[in-house]
Amino acid sequence: MSDATLHSAPPPAAAPNEAMEIRFRGGGFVAKPHRWMAPIVFVVLIAFIEIGTRSGFISSLTLPRPSDVLATLVQLYKSGQLFEHLVPSLTRLAVGASLGAIVGISVGVMIGLFSYVRAGLVPLVAAIFPIPKIALLPLFVIWFGIDESSKYALIAFGTFTPTVVATYGAVDNVDRSLIRMGQSFGLSWFSIVRKIVLPGAMPGILSGLRISLAIAIILLVAAEMLGAQHGIGAYILEAGSLYDLERLFAGVVILSLLGVITSGAIGLIERRVLGWRT
Amino acid sequence: MTKFNRRQTLGLMGAAAATSLAAPALAQNRKAVVGAMSLTSHSGSFIALQRGYFEQAGLDVELKFFEAAQPMAVAIASGDVDFGVTAITGGLINLAQKGAVTVIGGALSEEPGIDGQMYLASDKAFQDGLTSIEGLAGRRFGVTTAGSSFHYMGAKAAMHAGVDAPEFVPLQKVGAIVGALKSGQVDAWAIVPHIAKALAGSPEVHAIGMVADVVPNYQVTTVFTSQKNAGNERGLTESFLKGFGMGVSDYNATMVDKTNGDEAIQEMVKIIHQYVYSDREFEKAAPSIINGSMRLNEGAALNTASVADQLAWMQSEGLISNDITLDTFVDTSYVETIDA
Repeated sequence: MSDATLHSAPPPAAAPNEAMEIRFRGGGFVAKPHRWMAPIVFVVLIAFIEIGTRSGFISSLTLPRPSDVLATLVQLYKSGQLFEHLVPSLTRLAVGASLGAIVGISVGVMIGLFSYVRAGLVPLVAAIFPIPKIALLPLFVIWFGIDESSKYALIAFGTFTPTVVATYGAVDNVDRSLIRMGQSFGLSWFSIVRKIVLPGAMPGILSGLRISLAIAIILLVAAEMLGAQHGIGAYILEAGSLYDLERLFAGVVILSLLGVITSGAIGLIERRVLGWRT
Repeated sequence: MTKFNRRQTLGLMGAAAATSLAAPALAQNRKAVVGAMSLTSHSGSFIALQRGYFEQAGLDVELKFFEAAQPMAVAIASGDVDFGVTAITGGLINLAQKGAVTVIGGALSEEPGIDGQMYLASDKAFQDGLTSIEGLAGRRFGVTTAGSSFHYMGAKAAMHAGVDAPEFVPLQKVGAIVGALKSGQVDAWAIVPHIAKALAGSPEVHAIGMVADVVPNYQVTTVFTSQKNAGNERGLTESFLKGFGMGVSDYNATMVDKTNGDEAIQEMVKIIHQYVYSDREFEKAAPSIINGSMRLNEGAALNTASVADQLAWMQSEGLISNDITLDTFVDTSYVETIDA
C-alpha cells in the first residue's frame, strides 16, 4: 500500500542523485488541425439565429430565418435562376480579375527589377490605390459603356493595385544571398530572374493574390450596380432595395462560398507551385 | 434675421390662436425627427418647419436628410426617424409587411393640367424612332432599382401604349441615369418636372410624353411612419400631419395654384432654396424650384386607388409577396382617402 502510493506520487523534487524528469518545454504555439471545430462554430451560430428568429427574440426585421434563406437558395437552384446569375458574375470575375492580376504582376515585377520603373510607377500606384473604385464607376460607364466592359474594367482596376504592391514587395524580399550566389556562378541576368527571383517572389505574389481576389469579389457587387440585370451582385442589390432579407442573405452566402472557393483554389496552386518549399 | 422675425411673428399668431387650436390629443413640445430629401416634393416639411407650423402643432421637429427613398424607409423602421415622405417602393412595402412602417397619408400627386413627371428619350433613340411612348417596346429604360417609382412609370407607359415592356436597366442613382441618358446608354426615362425640363432643353434629350396622361392621379409620394407611431402614438402622429398639412396648403396656394402672387412665390422659393439646390445661387435655383412645382395632396389625403394599383403591379412583377393587401401597409384612420 505505502509502496504503491509512493510510486504514483511525483518523485521528491530535491532527491540529489536521482535523474530528474524534465518536461520538454518547446511545445505549444503550433497550429494543429481540428477539422470539426469550424463546422461546430457554424452550426452553433446558425442554430442560435434559427432559434432566436423562431422564438421571436430576434425580430424578422433584424435577421432572416436561416431555414428560409436555405429554402430561397434551393428555390433559386430549382428555378434555374442560380446559373442565370452565377454565369455572368463568374465571367465578369474571371475576365476582370485575371486582367488585373496579370497586368498587376507584370508591372509589379518590372517595378521590382528596374529602378527607373520603380521611381516612376510606385508613386503613381500609391496615388491610385486609395481611390475608391466605386466612385469612378460613373466615369467608367462613359469610358467603357454600360455593358460588360465597364464591369471588367472596374474589377481589373480594383485588383490591379493590390497585386502590384504585393508583387514588388515580394520581389524586394527575395533572398539577396541567393541572387549574389547566382551572380558568382556566372548566371545570366535573365536566368537569375527566371530561376531565383520569380520562384522566390512566388509566395508573396500568391498571398497578395488572395487579397486581390477577395477585393475582386467585393467589387463584383459594385460593378453590378450599374446596368446589370443578372449577376449575384445585381441580385443582392435588388434584394436590398426591396428589403427582402432572405434573398439578400442567399446572395451573401453565394458570395461567401465564392470567397472560400477562390481561397481554396489559391491554396491548391500554392501547394503545386511552391512544392520546392519544404 | 428675417427667419427669426418671421418665426417670432408666427409664434405670436400661434399663441393667439392657441386657445382654439390646442386640442388635448395633440402633443406638447414633443421631439420628432422628420426624414426629407433635397427635392421640391418635400416642401411641405420645409415650409411647416420654417413657418413654425410644427411648433404650433406642439412638435420640436428636426429634419434629417437622405439621398434616396430606401434608406429613409429603413431609418424609420429602425426608429431613428419618426416620419418620412417618399415614393411607394417595393422596399417600403416589404418593410411594412415585416411590421416596421405604415403609410398614413399622401403627398405628391400627378394632376391633369399641372406639369408633372415626364417621359424622356435620349437623342440617339429619338432619332431612331422613339418619339412617343408607343416606341418603348424593347428599349432600355433607366431605373434606380427594381420596384422603384421609375420602374412603375416605365411599365405603366408600355401597358398604356399597349406595347411590350422595355428592358429595365438598374443604375442606382438619379445622377447615373442622367449621365446614361445623355450619352445614349439608356434610351428612355421618366422623372420629376424640374429635372425633366432642364434635360429636355439640351440637345441630347427629348421629352416624349407626360406621366399624368399615362397614370392619371398617380400618388407619387406618401407620408409614412413607424407602426409604433401610427398605432400607439396617435397624438404625435396627428400633430405631425397637422403641421405638415399646413405647410402643404401654403405650398399649393402659392406655388401650384399661384393665388398669392409673384412676391409670395419669391418668398416661398427662398424658404425651399435653403434645402433644395442650396449649393446653387438663388437666381439659378429659383427657376428649377418653380418648374418643379407639383400638387401636394391637401390635408395629406391619400389616393388609395392609385396605391392599390401600384401594389397590384408590384405583385404582378413578383417584387413583393402576393399575400400583402392594402391594409398591411396603409393606415387610413388619419387622413381622408380618395378612392377613384
